[in-house]
Amino acid sequence: MIELQAAVSGALNGSLYALMALGLSLAWGFLKVINLAHFAMILLAGYLTFELATSTGLSPIATIVVTAPLMFLVGALIQLGYERFDVSELNSLLISYGLLIITVQVVTNIWTADFQRLPSEINPFSAESLAVGSLRFPMPTLLAAGFAVVLVVAAALVLGRTYAGRALQAFGQDREIASAFGIDHRLLGVLLAGAAGASAAVAGMLFPIGGTLTPDLPFEWIGLVFAIVILGGIGNVTGTLYAGLLVGATSGLVAVIWTPSTSPFVVFSLVVLALVFRPKGLFPQKGG
Amino acid sequence: MLQVTDLDVFYGDAQALWGASVTVGSGEVVSIVGSNGAGKSTLVNAIMGILRPRRGRIVLDDQDVTETPGHRMCRAGVAIVPEGRRLFPSMSVEDNLDLGAFNRVARAHYEESLQWVHTLFPRLADRRSQLAGSLSGGEQQMLAIGRGLMARPRLLLMDEPSLGLAPVVVDEVFDVIETVRDEGVSVLLVEQNAQMALDVSSRAYLLAEGRVVMDGTAEELAKSREVRDSVLGL
Ligand SMILES: Nc1ncnc2c1ncn2[C@@H]1O[C@H](COP(=O)(O)OP(=O)(O)O)[C@@H](O)[C@H]1O
Ligand SMILES: [Mg+2]
Repeated sequence: MIELQAAVSGALNGSLYALMALGLSLAWGFLKVINLAHFAMILLAGYLTFELATSTGLSPIATIVVTAPLMFLVGALIQLGYERFDVSELNSLLISYGLLIITVQVVTNIWTADFQRLPSEINPFSAESLAVGSLRFPMPTLLAAGFAVVLVVAAALVLGRTYAGRALQAFGQDREIASAFGIDHRLLGVLLAGAAGASAAVAGMLFPIGGTLTPDLPFEWIGLVFAIVILGGIGNVTGTLYAGLLVGATSGLVAVIWTPSTSPFVVFSLVVLALVFRPKGLFPQKGG
Repeated sequence: MLQVTDLDVFYGDAQALWGASVTVGSGEVVSIVGSNGAGKSTLVNAIMGILRPRRGRIVLDDQDVTETPGHRMCRAGVAIVPEGRRLFPSMSVEDNLDLGAFNRVARAHYEESLQWVHTLFPRLADRRSQLAGSLSGGEQQMLAIGRGLMARPRLLLMDEPSLGLAPVVVDEVFDVIETVRDEGVSVLLVEQNAQMALDVSSRAYLLAEGRVVMDGTAEELAKSREVRDSVLGL
């Protein structure tokens, strides 16, 4: 039973990582930028949620009304910058690493390097949990899983069913020809990057709800999030969710069967094997 | 309807076109012949706005479109059937056609254009939900032409549409070129298969090493020593 609890809790945790991976994967797959600044936006959104909720007394979930549009703007502006300077895939990685380091420093200067935690009066979720039989799930992880599923499904629907989504797919497959048929890649790219930014705001909000904030959190996320992006298939949104659940459940199980410290070893062995045998991810899309 | 004057195009520091001048009249099929590497695709891509010329002018119906980016050119009435087809392989036939009509002007005529394309290529109607990447070479070429026509062009740029196709399919492609012309679309046709291209064209240009070395009526070029030597292999 402890294994089942570990696997399911792990999967729920993994869905939060999938939510972080979503925006990274979309930008990488469709815009050919590896945007580490995505982690900076998540971190910043986390601290803004904390700040807004503590200063106004609002529920942390309500702060999304401010942070999502703000991060949409930040994401869109960064993409405009990449476009303006015609930044290559590799250079985007370096530049955005710089942006991440700067953000971490700024966050440290404003909020210090100490742990920050929302007081329990404004964050009732931290104490709640849901019992299913003998299994118990903390409310924050359930919230994370709920948001992850909703955003992934929304992204998949937009990509598959709307004109703009199909235009983005076309753009991901052949930029020049997509442009030749009237697809304005700058506009679409900016909108996509904005949407990725808004998803970073949602992910960021979930950290103060679930626990404590420290400025160096991004460095804990990067490895696992990249693993999920690659296992899920770059640009494959549903694949990202499956990969998040799989990685989370695996880490959870490994942690109780062996020790928590062996989880990264197992997860990254999976990534290496996947890159060798399934270079397009574990969940290849039709035709791709 | 199209006037290209003195076009120079570079890839980085390497020049690929030197002062190329080409015109296409309304309702006319004009072909560009020349051996591999002569600069034919470079010329077509520069007209489409995929490549930006360094010098020269491109005028479409009295409007200077030299600096117009690709995504605006299609609204101005130019569409491309690119070399190697370049379909969106992991999308369906239907979605590929749909994207052909992405620009606002074409979208308004979507149903009408789709019927036209399905009449020209009935096989595309049968395969509408199949992925473009899973079609045969001939079907892919038809889809590439169909996608171009969905944009409702007044000028269609076709870059080696017969490349790598079986002779029957090549005949079908050339029949379609004539049909399209008869419906009033001008065609700028790039071909290594010079004999067939000249047969459907009224005028033609011979490109060699990035320069237009000859131009005239299709018959003149078909008879000329230069064309016979360099492209027809006679
Ligand atoms: N993307 C590119 N980068 C650099 N050089 C190129 C590129 N594409 C074509 N070229 C060069 O430009 C010249 C003309 O090529 P191209 O227009 O493709 O010829 P054609 O279509 O007549 O075969 C060739 O010398 C080719 O090597
Ligand atoms: Mg060519």
